[in-house]
Amino acid sequence: MKRTPLALLNLLHEKTRLIVAIAGVGFAVLLIFMNLGFQGALLATTVTFYEQLDADIFLTSPESLEISSTKAFPRVRLAQIAGVEGIERTMPLYMEYLLWRNPETRISRAMFVFGINPQDPVFGMPEVQTPAAQQALEAPNTVLIDRLSREEFGPQTVDLETEAGRRRVIIGGQYSLGGGFAADGTLIMSDQNFIRFFAPRPFSQINLGLIQVKAGANIEAIATTLRRLLPADVRVMTRREMIQNDLQFWLQTTAIGFIFSLGVIVSFIVGTVIVYQILYTDIRDHMKEYATLKAMGYSGRYLFGIVLQEAVILAVAGFVPGWVVAVGLYRLTREATNLPMIMTVNRLVLVFTLTLIMCSLSGLISVRRAVTADPAEVF
Amino acid sequence: MATSQSSGSSPVTPTTSAVQIQNLHYSFGSGDLTKQVLFDINLTLPRGQIVIMTGPSGSGKTTLLTLIGALRTVHAGSLQVLGQEVVGLSRRKLVSVRRNIGFIFQAHNLFESLTAAQNVEMAVELKGQFGTKRSQAVEILDKLGLSDRVDYKPGSLSGGQKQRVAIARALVNHPLLILADEPTAALDKKSGRDVVTLMQKLAKEENHTILMVTHDNRILDVADRIINLVDGRLESDENLDTFVSTHDPKSLDRRMFIM
Repeated sequence: MKRTPLALLNLLHEKTRLIVAIAGVGFAVLLIFMNLGFQGALLATTVTFYEQLDADIFLTSPESLEISSTKAFPRVRLAQIAGVEGIERTMPLYMEYLLWRNPETRISRAMFVFGINPQDPVFGMPEVQTPAAQQALEAPNTVLIDRLSREEFGPQTVDLETEAGRRRVIIGGQYSLGGGFAADGTLIMSDQNFIRFFAPRPFSQINLGLIQVKAGANIEAIATTLRRLLPADVRVMTRREMIQNDLQFWLQTTAIGFIFSLGVIVSFIVGTVIVYQILYTDIRDHMKEYATLKAMGYSGRYLFGIVLQEAVILAVAGFVPGWVVAVGLYRLTREATNLPMIMTVNRLVLVFTLTLIMCSLSGLISVRRAVTADPAEVF
Repeated sequence: MATSQSSGSSPVTPTTSAVQIQNLHYSFGSGDLTKQVLFDINLTLPRGQIVIMTGPSGSGKTTLLTLIGALRTVHAGSLQVLGQEVVGLSRRKLVSVRRNIGFIFQAHNLFESLTAAQNVEMAVELKGQFGTKRSQAVEILDKLGLSDRVDYKPGSLSGGQKQRVAIARALVNHPLLILADEPTAALDKKSGRDVVTLMQKLAKEENHTILMVTHDNRILDVADRIINLVDGRLESDENLDTFVSTHDPKSLDRRMFIM
C-alpha cells in the first residue's frame, strides 16, 4: 500500500473548483498553442521559397540577412567551384525589388523579382518548366507573375502590358509561389531581362548561388570542401542552414517573434494567476487540517509536496483538453486561411513543459502559506 | 523514523514521568509589547495519569498545552516531554517530538476529502507503516465504535462520530502522551460523555498519559487529578476526591459560570 494520495483526493473533493481549474489551465494552454501555431505558420510561409528552389547548397554574401535582403557577390565564385567533385550544376539567382504599376489603378507597388537563366531548372514549380513558360521567359521584357501576389498588383492576364521600373513589361505566364513576409508579390524573369530592368547593375554580380549535387553525394562534405575553397566574400550554407538562418532572422530581429512571444507570455501569466487562485483557495480552506498535520508531526516539506503535486495534477489535467481543442482549431485555421498550422511534437513538448512550469510556479507562490501553517494556532 | 528519545541532543534522563516542567516562563511578543502568559510553572505528569486542566479563559491553559505539545519554541525554564528536553530545540527536532504525542482538538480537523480510515491512516503513515496502515486504522476505529463508518467521509458522519475519528487518528500510533483541548466542546452531552469515556478506557488499557483542557464539568470525574491555572500560574493541583470535597456541589455550580 502506498501513501494516501492527499493532493489528488483534495482536488477531486471540490468538483466545481476542479473543473474551473482545469478549464483555466486548458484555456491558457490553448492560447499558448494558438500563438505558437500562428507564429509557426507565418514563419513557415517565409521559407516556402526554399521548398521550391531546387538546390542543395547555397552561396550567399556574408552580409545577406535573409532571402529578400541579400547583398550581391561576384558570379565568378560559382564558376570557381563548378568543377568540384560531386557537384552536378551551379545556377545564379538574381533578386531585386521592382515597382510594379497596377494597370487599373495606376498605383505602383514593390514586387520581388527573381532573375534566372531560363535554361536553369531553378524553380521546382511545373508551370515554370512548360515550353510556353520557357518561351515567355526568353522573350524581351516579359515576366512570369506569381498568382499568390496580393490583389493590389492588379490583373494577371497573360499578355497584359503594364509598367515596371519605368519600362514596359508584359505578363508572359503565371506560377504559384507566395512571398511570405518578405514580398507582397513575386515575378520571375530571365537574367537578360533582369539586367535591362535593373541597369546599370552588372551581370557579374549575383545574389544567390544555387548548387545541385549529384545523386547520392554527401552534401555536408561538399559544403565543407566549398567553405575551404572559397574566399570570405561568400558564405556556404546547406538548405537546412539557409532555412534556419531565415527563420532566425524573422523570429529574432523582427516584430513577429515579439508579438507572438508576447501572446505566449500573457497566456502564461493568465494561467499562472488562475492556478494560483485555485491553489491558494484550496490551501486557505484546508489551513486547519494542514496545521493539524504539522501538529501530528508532518514536516513543512510534506505540505510543500502536497501543493506541488496539486499543481502538477492541474497541469496535466488542463493540458490534455487544451491540446485537443488546439488540434481542432489548427485544422479550422488551416482550412480557413491556408496557413500551415501543424501540431509538431516539438511544440507539444514545449507547451507541456511551459504548462508544468506555469503550474509549479503558481504552486511555489501559494505554497508559502501552507508551509507556514502554525500548528499552535489550531488549538 | 527517528523518535525523540534517540534523536535528542540533550541527555535522556530515565524517568517515569511523561511530562516534567520546572520554572517554565513563557511570553508572547517582543520588546515593549511583550506579554508574559505563563509564570514559573512547575508540574510533573506521571505515566498513565489522566489530568484535567481547568481555569478561566485567558489563563494560559491552551498556551501551556501547545508548549507541552512541542508546537512552540520555548526558551526559559525546563520542559521535558517523554524524557526529551524541549527547551531550546530547533523546529525540526520539535517535529519529531510531536510524532509521539496524540493531539485532539476542539474541532475535529479531518480532511473532508478523505474517508474516516484514510484520515486515520495519515497518522500511521508518519510511522512509515504503509503495509498495515489500513488494518491499524480499522482496528482503532472499531474500538471507538465506528466499525460501520470506516469508509465514510466526514461529511456523512455526525459530530460525535467525527470527533471519535479524530480521537482514533490521535491514538492509532499508541502515543504515550495525549493532549486534548476541549474535545467535548462541540458535542452534545451524550456524545461528549461517550468520547471521554472511550478516551479514558483506551488510556487505562495502554497506560497513556492524558492532559485535557476542559470547561466541561460533566466530565471531571474521569480525571485522576485536576489542576487549575489562573492568570498564568498554577493555582491548585489536587486529586479528584480533594477537588470534589473542596468544591461542594453548590459552589462548584457557581464556578461553572465563572469559568
